[in-house]
Amino acid sequence: MNSRNDSREPCPDGAQAPAIRLIGIGKSFANGDRTIAVLDDVQLTIEMQAIVGLIGSSGAGKSTLLSIIAGILKPDHGQVCICGAASEEFNDWRSVGYMFQDDRLLPWRSAQRNVEFALEAGSVASEERVRRARAALELVELDAFADAFPYQLSGGMRSRVALARSLVTEPRILLMDEPFSRLDAQTRTAMHEELLRIHRLKRMTVVFVTHDVAEAALLADRVAVMSPRPGTIREVIDIEIARPRDITQPEVTRYMQRLRAAI
Amino acid sequence: MTQSNEATETRAATRGPRLRLDLIVQRLALAAAGIVLWWVSSLSVPHYILPGPARVWEALRLIAANGDLWNNLAITLWRVVFGFVTAALVGLPFGIVLGANQRAGEFFEPVIPVLNTVSSAIWAIFAIIWFGISNATTIFVVFMTAMPLIITNVWQGTRTVSADFIELARVLRMPRWKIMEKIYLPTILPYFFSGSRLAFGFSWRVSLVAETIGSSSGVGYRLRQAADLIRTDQVFAWTLTLVILMATIEMALLKPLENYLFRWKKDVEMQ
Repeated sequence: MNSRNDSREPCPDGAQAPAIRLIGIGKSFANGDRTIAVLDDVQLTIEMQAIVGLIGSSGAGKSTLLSIIAGILKPDHGQVCICGAASEEFNDWRSVGYMFQDDRLLPWRSAQRNVEFALEAGSVASEERVRRARAALELVELDAFADAFPYQLSGGMRSRVALARSLVTEPRILLMDEPFSRLDAQTRTAMHEELLRIHRLKRMTVVFVTHDVAEAALLADRVAVMSPRPGTIREVIDIEIARPRDITQPEVTRYMQRLRAAI
Repeated sequence: MTQSNEATETRAATRGPRLRLDLIVQRLALAAAGIVLWWVSSLSVPHYILPGPARVWEALRLIAANGDLWNNLAITLWRVVFGFVTAALVGLPFGIVLGANQRAGEFFEPVIPVLNTVSSAIWAIFAIIWFGISNATTIFVVFMTAMPLIITNVWQGTRTVSADFIELARVLRMPRWKIMEKIYLPTILPYFFSGSRLAFGFSWRVSLVAETIGSSSGVGYRLRQAADLIRTDQVFAWTLTLVILMATIEMALLKPLENYLFRWKKDVEMQ
């Protein structure tokens, strides 16, 4: 399957190991009789506790790359290292949270039970599951709506339930695939603040995919700019602005321009 | 757990009773109008063609007093429930397998419409040939009618299982059997339930057909007997009992159960 197995490098480990390390990731999909290279030779290192944005036009392979990091898609070439371990040997996937583009709440479960769902994959005792789900809902300030069903919640609230669900496992790494892209501007800003507040508390590593330069400039410590056909990382830009950041700050605007030019 | 019960109760309390009350008044008015119409029409016709409400009430009291009513009702109910439960036990796993396994689904696809087109009367005739005059005849007819309906509905439900939810479970590294339990089953349940309700209604109706021709007990048998003796008042009494029993099961048991199980669904009529 892996034609370049021989070129595999060992994952760096020890205390200094980065949260995520991507070494020469390549992936192509078959489309009829043609194969389309979606990712080619992607290199990226993401340090522990960092907030990193993956930005690029559509078709740049951002979501594919995130699926590969999450281990639900196998790369054709290259090596993914998670916390110093090779992806295929890494066994602590429940400490990696994942947030989808849509909230993906199960309609037949209440908010509380939706958050519990993430813990039901493992073997957490039911009282502890209830307690932890409750705490996660408190973290996103939705404990008052624990018993509401998804159809009774607004888009922003549903998004926060989804966030609570990806946080309830206490992930060291949180992967987010355009998580707020379907929300209106105001709610999106509120979710950004929510995410940064939780990050200050929990210090998890955050990797998010976005096509919004403002979102990247406001949230990220570093932004990896991807270019399409085949998707690869063109440039990594450090966003050196103190927090809290604001969309009206001139530095933020400058970074947004720089990101826009890089895409 | 207690909190979720509380939430359901408050919601039921805020929108339930007021609506219920004028609904009950409406239904009672409808029933009263029906009875008056029946009474008026019965005045000008001989009683063995159309007996009036009073005559039917007398017949009903008679069969209730001598135990006839309860015995036969119990026998019929037992046959229907037995045939129906067997159909559900066979139909649910079959429906899931046919829906989840594409090859099995494609292979067996023609079987369901064929089973559905065979009339219950034909099953009844076969049943008499195979089982004679016995409980098995009615049970078989009920089973053969209900089973394809349940399979069809569950099969349809399996096709609606969301790939997105499966992906969510995979990201969480949820084992396969838990995906079955936590995603497949809740998705299928509404389909299973509506299929079952449909099948249960059919079961009742076909059980009577089966009992009229292939049984020496049960409501269907008594109905035919009453008809043979031109005791039209008793025919009405049996019919009325059945209608009331069915309506009670539907409204007091199935509808509330459905409302509770599927309370997470957006209430269409409330919008």
